[in-house]
Amino acid sequence: MSENRSESETGVPAVDATGLPDHVTEAEIRESAARERREKLRMFLTNWQGLTGLILVTVFFASAIFAPWLAPYDPNALDVPARLSGPTLDHLAGTDQLGRDTLSRILYGGRVALYIAAIGVSVSLVTGLILGMIAGFGPRWLDSLLLLLFDTVRSFPTIVLALATVALTGPSLTVVLAIVIITSIPQYARVARTATLTLRNTDFILAERSLGAGMARTLLHHVMPNVVGPLLILAAMEVPVVVTVEAGLSFLGLGVTPPTASWGTILNEGYLVIRDAPWMVIAGGIPLILTTLGFTFLGEALRDIFDPRMGKGR
Amino acid sequence: MKQTGTTRRGFLGTTAALGALGLAPAWTTAAFAQAGGTLRLRIDGDNDVLDPGFMTGGTEIEAQKQCLPFLAQYARDGETFTWEPTYFVTRLEQRDATHIDFELTEGLTWSNGYGPVMASDVKFSYERMKDSDWSGYFDALDRVDVTGDRTGTIVLNKPFAPFIMITLCHGPGAVLSEKAMADAGGEFTNSFPAVCGPYTYEATPGQRAVFTANPDWTGPKPAFDRVECNVITEVKAAELAFEAGELDCTEVGADTLARYTKDMSEGTGIAVAGELQYMWMGMNTEHPKLQDIRVRQAIQHAVDVDTILQGAYSGTTAKSHGIICPGLTGQRDSAGYSYDPARARELLAEAGASGLQLTLRTLNNQERMLAAQIIQANLMQIGITVTVLPLDSGPFWEMGQESKGDTWKDLELWLMRFGTTPDPYEATQWFTSDQVGVWNWERWTDEEYDRLYEEGINETDPQKRHDIYVRMQEIMENTGAYVWINHEPEAFVHSTAVGVNAAPSGELNYRRFTGA
Repeated sequence: MSENRSESETGVPAVDATGLPDHVTEAEIRESAARERREKLRMFLTNWQGLTGLILVTVFFASAIFAPWLAPYDPNALDVPARLSGPTLDHLAGTDQLGRDTLSRILYGGRVALYIAAIGVSVSLVTGLILGMIAGFGPRWLDSLLLLLFDTVRSFPTIVLALATVALTGPSLTVVLAIVIITSIPQYARVARTATLTLRNTDFILAERSLGAGMARTLLHHVMPNVVGPLLILAAMEVPVVVTVEAGLSFLGLGVTPPTASWGTILNEGYLVIRDAPWMVIAGGIPLILTTLGFTFLGEALRDIFDPRMGKGR
Repeated sequence: MKQTGTTRRGFLGTTAALGALGLAPAWTTAAFAQAGGTLRLRIDGDNDVLDPGFMTGGTEIEAQKQCLPFLAQYARDGETFTWEPTYFVTRLEQRDATHIDFELTEGLTWSNGYGPVMASDVKFSYERMKDSDWSGYFDALDRVDVTGDRTGTIVLNKPFAPFIMITLCHGPGAVLSEKAMADAGGEFTNSFPAVCGPYTYEATPGQRAVFTANPDWTGPKPAFDRVECNVITEVKAAELAFEAGELDCTEVGADTLARYTKDMSEGTGIAVAGELQYMWMGMNTEHPKLQDIRVRQAIQHAVDVDTILQGAYSGTTAKSHGIICPGLTGQRDSAGYSYDPARARELLAEAGASGLQLTLRTLNNQERMLAAQIIQANLMQIGITVTVLPLDSGPFWEMGQESKGDTWKDLELWLMRFGTTPDPYEATQWFTSDQVGVWNWERWTDEEYDRLYEEGINETDPQKRHDIYVRMQEIMENTGAYVWINHEPEAFVHSTAVGVNAAPSGELNYRRFTGA
């Protein structure tokens, strides 16, 4: 079709070569988009939960990244005579059974949490996105097969999977990461699949296909941009889950190996001396709680802004 | 149907609030036992099999001690453990190295109409043990000769000095009614076919075992008419129950023992049953990295055991100098090496070992993990990098056994703790040549050690036995394969209204508790 027909002839707004209705200018579109962005920023800045979440998440990232400069002591340096000292100016969060500075261990423990969260969430997001889109766009048998796989993995309790894996391989950060990735992929894949199924019969996808676009191009250029948004929000919500899983596995001794500091191991070591040295559990628990709250608040604020239907529905 | 909804935010808020409440101190009013009343104790699980031949041990032995006759019982002679005859015998004498004569007290009767306790019951009970799960305790038994209704002789097939201490005083030494056992089909599980003791037994699975005064009992009356043993799996939960006044006595861990030792509340006491556990760090003498004895000796010198005792055990355990525990014949008072990092570095240099990387395997519990981290730091100081590998009990207890796979080939260092009976023979048996690949994971052999092991079993002279077991530990230490660590106590906190009685290995004997 080389010539645009008028709205009166077709009953639909006429479009120009850019694909826009001829009575809407590109400048107006840009202005509208900018207005929408400003509105969303305004919504975010007036959302106390979102701001709180952003601050907490920023503190989490900053403290983890700059731990070597922020930590007052070597987190693994033993000082047994000073064991189980209460909070003082020298040791703001006290010391543990081996006299190690709890604050330094918490800061370094944040690096473990950040490592697991960053790698675990991004790898599972990308993998889940790809598998979900393939399931949603591919043939029905492939969809059924992948769904069965997702549901099988999801039905397996994380801790049981961790116990079985650690029994075979021994505990390590790599094992924790693998477990986090394996158990998280189905969540992203399911969301991606649902969104892809919704999109696959829309006009613009059908048009693209009818013009001869291949599956890979269609998924990459047209489906993925529309699917990735909800996944990023889900990822923000998943970070605290991943951090908690790592802490839980380390608490059970299935995660990091000594002397690496992790919030879970700090909690574990503090648990048995909670009557004598409650600061260990408190100091180990606070960053876990704040990080969980931070990512949860941030994720929910983003969801409220970018997906108002869900926000109103809650 | 009304359903309660929840949101993620609500859940987080509620959890935080509950967490905060959990940290708040508890205000409790304790009400402890009075003599003649009810004694409230803790058991860590149900007593599934009370039959001495097929029991698991632990609290099942505690139940047997209340309801069945024993010929001997543990006694304390100063710092040393010994034995004494029980109320059930008027005579128990070792006539010579292989004959032990006994005479049962007159008037003992079985419940459920099974008549008087006879010497034939002793014969039946001990001879059946040779075909039981606990047959090892009766290897030395040849037979029991019945010489009268209440008299007999235990005949051993070879001199076995510790027979009374480790067999007759312990759970396998319980006497059963031959007639009742015949009626029960030869074995029983969780209820006694007949009892003869101060208490009868009744249990509600998952809740408690209750011992009530036996109306047929004519012997010494115990201090408490009723004993309630509540099933509490977790030690920490039991400690809280004690502090809330729900228990009169309970076992405690090292950290709690340290807390009580430092700050004992009014009306509370600590009782230590025994320290019949020995812990060490083992080294595989056959592993290529550890084949040079100088490397092993360097490690012996590099580990600061005093710091381990303080950091991992809160200073509540006795330093070990071998495998023979405090209170037993053959305990050493010092080791042949000392903490000396400079000497350790010299030995490593002599051995030409540099950049050594080793794996230390340990059970995944807190004290061991803390100990492992101290060792890790100690060895780092002499240039050995240690990876700590925590394991669950299943793989841990199999890793050195050749019959369980090939892990034994990779074993380098490990933290090990064995429990033992109140005689040195038991602890030494695991390191003979035929135990290589079974429990001798260090994998050394020594002819002198094997010979001394046999001599120690047969020897009845206390001083000679002492010398034998001291020498055996020297042989072990000279292999360089051992860093002795500690002897953990079996410790209990209790109300001062209650006097605790426990076997050296930690089993409580309720009938011998005392009241205020």
